[in-house]
Amino acid sequence: MIAARAWHWLAAVALLSVVAVAGLVLGVTTIPVMEVADALAGRGDETTATIVRTLRAPRVVLAALVGAALAMSGAALQGVLRNSLAEPYLLGVSGGAAVGAVLAFGMGLQHTGSLAIPAFAGAIFAVVAALLVARAAGRSARGDPRTLLMAGVIIGAFANAVIMVALANSTSDTLRGSLWWMMGSVADASWIGALWLALYISAAALVLLWMAPEIDVLALGEESAAALGSNVELATRRVFLVSALLAAATVAAAGLIGFVGLIVPHIVRAFGVRRHRRLIAGSALVGATLVILADIVARTAMPPAELPLGAVTALIGVPFFLIQLARTR
Amino acid sequence: MRDDFGQEVLPGVARRIISLNPATTEMLFAIGAGDRVIGRTTWDSYPDFVRLIPDMGPGLRPNLEVVIAAKPDLVILYASADNRPAADRLRALGISTLAVKNDSIGDLARTLRLLGIVTGDSVRAAIVADSVAATLDRVRAATKGRSRPTAFWYIWDSPLITIGRGSYMSELLEIAGARNLYDDMTVPSPSVTLEDVVRRNPDVVIAGPDGTRNLSTDARWLALPAVRAGRIIVADTALVAKPSVRLGEAAVSLARMLHPGIEL
Repeated sequence: MIAARAWHWLAAVALLSVVAVAGLVLGVTTIPVMEVADALAGRGDETTATIVRTLRAPRVVLAALVGAALAMSGAALQGVLRNSLAEPYLLGVSGGAAVGAVLAFGMGLQHTGSLAIPAFAGAIFAVVAALLVARAAGRSARGDPRTLLMAGVIIGAFANAVIMVALANSTSDTLRGSLWWMMGSVADASWIGALWLALYISAAALVLLWMAPEIDVLALGEESAAALGSNVELATRRVFLVSALLAAATVAAAGLIGFVGLIVPHIVRAFGVRRHRRLIAGSALVGATLVILADIVARTAMPPAELPLGAVTALIGVPFFLIQLARTR
Repeated sequence: MRDDFGQEVLPGVARRIISLNPATTEMLFAIGAGDRVIGRTTWDSYPDFVRLIPDMGPGLRPNLEVVIAAKPDLVILYASADNRPAADRLRALGISTLAVKNDSIGDLARTLRLLGIVTGDSVRAAIVADSVAATLDRVRAATKGRSRPTAFWYIWDSPLITIGRGSYMSELLEIAGARNLYDDMTVPSPSVTLEDVVRRNPDVVIAGPDGTRNLSTDARWLALPAVRAGRIIVADTALVAKPSVRLGEAAVSLARMLHPGIEL
């Protein structure tokens, strides 16, 4: 097993920077790096400046934020639930958010941008429901992380059923809008939206990093954790809630972008990172890189049309994951 | 006047127009503004040489980078919820937008009027609108008093989709002298069951070329007397596919197939 060294961190930061610059350069039309620099400085061709400053840059920032948040959420959840298949969407967050968005669409909400609030509300509703379901479980099952996982899966399945009923006979407008939303996209990114998300995610990330030592203890297993003096049930719930809040914000901002929360922590662990403070921080870097990369593919693969970002993250993520898996063996 | 996103429609002479709706592209060509169209959707097919104009993508949720790079002074969009963010952003960048929900035959005259205003040629737009309306009136008059067969319009197989009263195609059927089998349904494209179609027992079935092939190869459709008797009308999908300036032509061709020998 290799150990995470300083140069790994430098490489991760360097890679993120390179991909972020590529995110500004590549698109339907490639804008040379120098012109991108001019555009950012407010010089040069006006159209190019508009494309770089109001379309591409906020998009890259939003993609990075969404990727970082999902990956941190996944890293924390996998630790606390002691399940390497845990991911933010498995906990009903995505299903709940989708129900919120689809219902808002169906009720004639006119602006896809304003789906953020109903989506966020739906996600929070689902998470609270999952926590209540888990809490209703018998005393012995309550401390078992699998109970929480199962509660999330069940809430998610119920949400899926609601979505199908709502969409089955809806108008083509609602259907198309909802589907696009569910496939995820950062195309509508704006500076103001990205700024709010940045503040929110930074706050949640700090809380998660602060709780990281507790996750380390929980990851040892509930008996060991209890023996070490941790209130397992309470700590699990707390981490679960913060992770879900992180994922809910990304869903509200960019729709459903799957797979990032699942695979990124695995990639980081493959570099020998075990302590959760480092794992969460590393996942944020890699997650941001991966989603910016996926968004570049989404907008350059078949111009002038765009691909759904959620599908691209999975298409890129799976081979990435398999390579890592082969290397760990 | 205001467009369907509630924006004031300013009279002017748009010189570089991107039309992100095949119906409005057709209309622009019909009113003589075709040479000012610098961008179209992937789906545009009429008139033929529209294919020579740069493709801006599928039209809904447009790729703003492509649109802005083409330096338009007017972008015409279909007024659906998922197009609204794009319209807002384009206006914020100083590019005029015109969003129209051109869904019914009644919408056509209004859409043409709006296009006349933004292209600076209201007269020509009015002439085109009047000529379509005159043709439709002529077909309506010719089919008046004739028997009105009930028609099932087969749009899609799985799920089985037809047209409801909310669709301009239902209006078109009425004008052409038929009655839509599902004119009791308000949604434009309701999904129905074969069982219910059989129960309602239409006099004729209308389908595009692909649909007709399905009707003749899928044995389930033999449950329908109209299909068994071969009372199937093959519609020109490209012609009837959008509520545009060729509606008159579409009504004429449908009326001729529904009422063989009709004087038009």
